[in-house]
Amino acid sequence: MRVVIAEDDALLREGLVLLLSTAGIEVVAAVDNATDFRAAVEAEQPDAVVVDVRLPPTFTDDGLRAAVEARRARPGLPVLVLSAFVEDSYAAELLADGAGAVGYLLKERVGRVDQFLDALRRVAAGGTAMDPEVIAQLLVRRKPDDPLATLTAREREVLSLMAEGHGNGTIGQLLVISDGAVHKHIRNIFGKLNLPSDDAGHRRVLAVLAYLNAS
Amino acid sequence: MRSALARVWAAIKYLAVGGGTALLGFVALVGLAVVAALSLVGIGLPALPEAARVLRVLANRERRRAGAALGEAIPEAYRPVTGPLPTQVRTVLTDPATRRDLAWLVPHAPIGILLGSVAIGLLPAAVNQWAIPFYWYLVPGGAPSGFDYRVTSWPQAGFAVVVGFLYASLTLALPRLARAQARYARWLLRPAPGVALSDRVAELTATRAAALDAHGAELRRIERDLHDGTQARIAAVIMQLGIAGQLRSRDADAAFDLVRKAQETAESALVELRDVVRSIYPPVLSDRGLDGAVTALAARCPIPCELDLALAGRPPAAVEAAAYFIIAEALTNVTKHSGAERARIRLGTAEDRVQITVVDDGRGGADEARGSGLAGIRRRVAALDGTAALTSPAGGPTELRVELPCGL
Repeated sequence: MRVVIAEDDALLREGLVLLLSTAGIEVVAAVDNATDFRAAVEAEQPDAVVVDVRLPPTFTDDGLRAAVEARRARPGLPVLVLSAFVEDSYAAELLADGAGAVGYLLKERVGRVDQFLDALRRVAAGGTAMDPEVIAQLLVRRKPDDPLATLTAREREVLSLMAEGHGNGTIGQLLVISDGAVHKHIRNIFGKLNLPSDDAGHRRVLAVLAYLNAS
Repeated sequence: MRSALARVWAAIKYLAVGGGTALLGFVALVGLAVVAALSLVGIGLPALPEAARVLRVLANRERRRAGAALGEAIPEAYRPVTGPLPTQVRTVLTDPATRRDLAWLVPHAPIGILLGSVAIGLLPAAVNQWAIPFYWYLVPGGAPSGFDYRVTSWPQAGFAVVVGFLYASLTLALPRLARAQARYARWLLRPAPGVALSDRVAELTATRAAALDAHGAELRRIERDLHDGTQARIAAVIMQLGIAGQLRSRDADAAFDLVRKAQETAESALVELRDVVRSIYPPVLSDRGLDGAVTALAARCPIPCELDLALAGRPPAAVEAAAYFIIAEALTNVTKHSGAERARIRLGTAEDRVQITVVDDGRGGADEARGSGLAGIRRRVAALDGTAALTSPAGGPTELRVELPCGL
């Protein structure tokens, strides 16, 4: 896998390069601002990009904007966005084109190396990786009569993990339940939320995220 | 021509109403004189504040009237008459506005009555002069043409027609008279420049003290959050890593466990730090500005929100942050308590103030004493010397209006 990294903090940037190289991922460019990032994506045609939201030149959301632009130029380009904070509307912007292959994680998740690499691979394969914090933000601030309120605590856990982008296997492992139990919970969730339950792959995640974003 | 006639007509109405208020003022002056005379011997004093209130009502009427005619509002600057009676009496007597009101009313009462009568009588009088040639010879003893003068011959009747034209041309001067009356009111009824300033200084001194208090409380909260949370956790991380270093050669597994624990502790320190940062200045504000941040808030709100964003320029960061938190808090309240189907958020700028309005179509009856959210909004508003008003009749709609000074 060939990756472009855009991160302005030198320590973090070097850490990311080291971490990805060690995992056998080729870092074709590591830049520290949005302008260079655009040029690098253009020149290297990477398989995926890892971008910090806040970058020079303006130190606002340049990175996010550059990533969204890059995806417009190359639809479906896998983008993993890192940030010191999460803002669920940014996640909505990344997901807006419905193409998937996006990730939005807090920077400290990089420290959980295995999970981070798993997230990057998932995104590169067209899946999603949403930070638990994003999902938590989407789950609060709901109307009292929201169908989500009818979910059991376990179903909520399953829904959150599903929305983060995990497959059934991972969900079962994380919650220490059987595959069959995961299936059953998911069926119940989709029934309660009135979502079509025929999709099993990435599209299912996107449906759940769209549901959380819309209502 | 048409507009000239319209102006004359407006002037007649203005002066006629002025005559009415002058008449009322005359009655009020007589009452005031009685109260003043009684006050000199002491027994009129309790009626003094009441008399001042009557005077203020009259003056305020004139302020509105003259302000509307001149196309520019005339502000009032009264000291509030409250507290025990002696304080009220002292306020009334020392308020320079009382003297200015009196200085306006004493000439206005007689002059206003005179001008009102002239304005009402001038046109009918002109018409009468023109009609005299047709009927003077029918009236025994001659036709009355004003001021006890009677027309008893044809040359006199012809002269009356000339006088009629004179009267008619005088009506054209009425707009100028009306304007003069309004200007005179503005001259005396607007606050003397120094007065407005000194009252404003007193008000600002009081609100600034409250703002500094609120600000101090906010700084102490941030300090406490950083000290008890982030700082303590980072200290723990350093300690855990230090011990892990010591253990490394003796018990590698235990050392590794400690490194893991240090990682977890550092993560929770970050979570808390993020919360503190967000509570000071939400990062989305610096990324997207207030418009963008509020749009994100509205998009996240489960109740459909209509947005009307009409900010002229970017307010200072403190104002942006306060406005953001106020709207976030208001939307949380709407979502949780109102049962509303939709909400509307308006952001605007007027006279160097940011105006925020959040309206919902819910069940109303929001009680400020119960909701902590509203208390939080009040606190933020006070810290910036702003104003907040909540109207929420049972059955709705609920409307929150906040104004924050911002110097835009």
